[in-house]
Amino acid sequence: MDAGALLGQLVVGLSRAMILFIVSAGLTLVLGVLRVPNVFHGSLYMVGAFVAWSVAEALGGHPAGLWLALAAAPLVTAGVGLAVERLLLCRLYHREHLMLILFTFGVMLVLNDLVKLLWGPTYRSLVPPPSLQGAVTVFGVALPRFNLVLLVAGPLVAVGLWLFAHRTRAGKVSRAAATDRDMVAALGVDVSRVFALAFAVGCFLAGLGGALVAPTTSITLGMDHSLLIDSFLIVIVGGLGNLWGALVGSLLFGVTQSVGLLVWPQFAIAFPYAVTAAVLLVRPTGLLRSAW
Amino acid sequence: MVNGRIVAGLLLAAGLAAAPAVLPPFFVYLLALVLVTGLLATSLNLVLGYGGLYQFHHGVFYGIGAYTAAVGITRLGWPAWLAFVAGPVAAAAAGLVIGFFCVRLSRLYFGMLQLSLGSLVWIVALRWYPVTGGDNGIHGIPLPAALQTLPGAYALVACTVAASLGVLWAVVRSPFGLTLQAIRDNPQRAQVMGVDVRAHQLAAMVLAAFFAGVAGVLYVALERSVFPNMLFWVLSLEILVMCLLGGWFTFSGPVVGAAVLVGLRTLVGRYTEYWTLVLGVLLILLIFFLPEGIMGHLQRRWTWTRAPSPHPAAAGGTRG
Amino acid sequence: MTDRMWRVLVAAVVAVSAVAGAGAAPAVRFDRNIKVGVVDTYSGPPAVFGNDALNGFKLALQEINRDGVHGARIEFVTRDEKFSPEIGLSMARELVLQERVDVLVGTINSATALAISAFAREQRVPFIVWISKSEDITGAKGHRYVFSTGENTAMAGKALAEAMARRGFTRFWLGAEDYEYGHRITNSFWKFMKRAKPEATLLGQTWWRTGEPDLVPYLTQIQQARPQAVFFGTGGAGMANVLRTMKVIGFNVPTAIHTAIDVTVLRPLGAAAPEGVFGTTDYLFYYPDTPANRKFVQDFQAAYGGPPGFPAFHGYITGYFIAEAFRKARSLDRDRFVEALEGLRIPTPVGEVEMRGCDHQAVLPMIFGVTRRDPRFPFLVGGDLVTIPGRDVMPTCEDIRRARERAQ
Repeated sequence: MDAGALLGQLVVGLSRAMILFIVSAGLTLVLGVLRVPNVFHGSLYMVGAFVAWSVAEALGGHPAGLWLALAAAPLVTAGVGLAVERLLLCRLYHREHLMLILFTFGVMLVLNDLVKLLWGPTYRSLVPPPSLQGAVTVFGVALPRFNLVLLVAGPLVAVGLWLFAHRTRAGKVSRAAATDRDMVAALGVDVSRVFALAFAVGCFLAGLGGALVAPTTSITLGMDHSLLIDSFLIVIVGGLGNLWGALVGSLLFGVTQSVGLLVWPQFAIAFPYAVTAAVLLVRPTGLLRSAW
Repeated sequence: MVNGRIVAGLLLAAGLAAAPAVLPPFFVYLLALVLVTGLLATSLNLVLGYGGLYQFHHGVFYGIGAYTAAVGITRLGWPAWLAFVAGPVAAAAAGLVIGFFCVRLSRLYFGMLQLSLGSLVWIVALRWYPVTGGDNGIHGIPLPAALQTLPGAYALVACTVAASLGVLWAVVRSPFGLTLQAIRDNPQRAQVMGVDVRAHQLAAMVLAAFFAGVAGVLYVALERSVFPNMLFWVLSLEILVMCLLGGWFTFSGPVVGAAVLVGLRTLVGRYTEYWTLVLGVLLILLIFFLPEGIMGHLQRRWTWTRAPSPHPAAAGGTRG
Repeated sequence: MTDRMWRVLVAAVVAVSAVAGAGAAPAVRFDRNIKVGVVDTYSGPPAVFGNDALNGFKLALQEINRDGVHGARIEFVTRDEKFSPEIGLSMARELVLQERVDVLVGTINSATALAISAFAREQRVPFIVWISKSEDITGAKGHRYVFSTGENTAMAGKALAEAMARRGFTRFWLGAEDYEYGHRITNSFWKFMKRAKPEATLLGQTWWRTGEPDLVPYLTQIQQARPQAVFFGTGGAGMANVLRTMKVIGFNVPTAIHTAIDVTVLRPLGAAAPEGVFGTTDYLFYYPDTPANRKFVQDFQAAYGGPPGFPAFHGYITGYFIAEAFRKARSLDRDRFVEALEGLRIPTPVGEVEMRGCDHQAVLPMIFGVTRRDPRFPFLVGGDLVTIPGRDVMPTCEDIRRARERAQ
């Protein structure tokens, strides 16, 4: 195995890790602030991909079509998430976690079937604009040009979230609510509005992940499955509610799988699970600090 | 009410015994499937509802029980009875190993570690093609002639499930079971009173895994096949939903939940391909209007005629 | 001869022999309609194949039901197995026990086909496989009640291997989806490659999960190993992804994939499909360009808005095999149906097709070609086409007998 091959696979793994990060960041935000294990987070990812396809299709081959789709899809999923939160979820915050899991599971089933109803069972393809088609050679490896967008989007999202959490009032209040919601309420802040905002941002990120992945793969029913479990594991490994933890976890998952293919191709798909098990056995609350 | 319970129990037993003669063959099969799934869900509820553990990948033990029997018969040439005993034993052993690592963690982390370890088992089954049949699973497993017919398989399923549920019922009522519930309600207090919390939880997991293995072996008797999906996390989530749907603070809840889910999938699935939509809406309605699950709600209504029991569900308790 | 003339001729021959042979043979009338149960995948990426097969089947039934079979029409019900053998098996059980179908038909997932086949044998219900290609279906695990109207991995592997060997490739990399079909087609290809070119070497193999969405790391790793040629064993779930990824990263290694030149695969991909990929299939809507084929394509296009692929062709001949077998059996009894179906020959849009008696496998030709653009269509087609007759690629009856014995 030469250094070139290793570096090449590393870059490939990085671009996959960026998608994982964007989606996991949303999940960890919701878990950290609202303490809700959102099982329909993966469905929003799938909805984001389908909406991106629809928007791009509607605009025909217009070069700006894809960018518009990337902007529209997360807004749609944020809207859906906000609607669910305001109408239903906010009445359940005092319930047990298992009930919240059951609720979000029910919403997941409904969303998945709605996607099937609206878009039908056949898969869709989204072609990137001509400027982003084809591949570039990085360390002797052919990397799809569109994956470069992913490599840029990931850090942008990370920086954006950090700015939100540390430099905006809403973000700071969210962080406080994650640690001690009762105290925040006692200080006169409308906690429910904080929750709504955090949930909307989380769902926005899920849709953004789906929209970004749409040009690289088949947009199909069931694409949420593997991503759902991967993002839950990443969030656990990284530390609940910890954005840097989500980044670390995503990098770990993405890179171990792609580099693992060079080392032990047969069991490369086992690496993320093995990593999670190893981390939880050594540091039961995750690698970085957990919100709860 | 005691007399009523005995009468209800006898009627149920009579109904189950008469089923093969009265129902069309497909419904006999369906009933057997509900019984197997009900046992699986009840075994989960031992650690979930009574133990308070976030058992997110219970399906692993079900799959290990089933695969052990299947591999034993087809690859190792075991006689059926040996395979059917080896299955639950292997599942219990897996429960011991996985449980040993998991009980050191709590709640969500417990569940996630179990998910990771269970998924590793799933991957082994998926990749070990010569032994497990890989993605195909194993089909057409030869069984003794008595089990090859539907009434024969049904009889085995019904008797074994009845016996297993009886044992689980006794366990829940025993001092061990009561201690488990005490640990669920307040682990610190239990510890202070001298209870070895981890040992109790581990023992409960082994027991639950054993009966999940029994369910797995019964599935083999009924379907004559095993599939890697039995080890996949989606099935585990479904079993969890069955418990929550039926009422996880009751004993019979999981069986009711299993009946609803299996029934929905098969019967509603014939009329519409969107039966999961129906299930999703049902679950959401349930959470708002029947938070203790179907059986939980029914039991609470029935006990209003007597003194209200100090039941956590009745208090609408939070475990936040 | 046009399709219509074929049918008139066959009908005349049948009528004459019926009168002459049996003397005063009484006319048979079935007292109820024939019911067919279809289990296939109608959700996810494999759905495009399942729908194509069903459409071909429906077209055949439309034509058949005009006159009926001994006064009976052929009806059907469908069930979605969602590419899961577990669901497929329980659907088959429901169709047999509850819907009481006369014949089971399906499916695209080879694992499901094997599971249902075991069940069909136990229940003594005829099961006709129309897309699944595992050679075990009619080979090692074949039995009296299972039939196949599609090509299998033994045939495809031999055709592809011999064609690639003729092109002089010797250093290979194999990549495939880790399930029944992936294993069968890859093993078959390599077995026949070694037979055709004993000096062929295997640089390595990569297996990925069925339906894996992100194949970039796998393909880049293969490209880095610099093999002379690559074989991909991908089926319904992974086909679109592997072809799309090949085009996106500019995968420049000569590649062979079974069904790569088929329209069901290439049409949904449109411009995203790569050119220069070698492939085989047993039916193309534009080749051979006979009047019978043209008519079939016309009727199909009018009814379903697109040209038929190999699944549609298989679905179509399945309909006719079922009709003709019941007609020949003169009874709704399943065992008589099985006996009538063995050795049955029917006319099809591309000529006569025989249901071989010793293994219940339809004798179908293999067409080898390479993907390329065609100004007539908005999708890629197969070029440089070469037809290999079915008899040259099928395992012999002796091979089948030995394989079934070994499996006991």
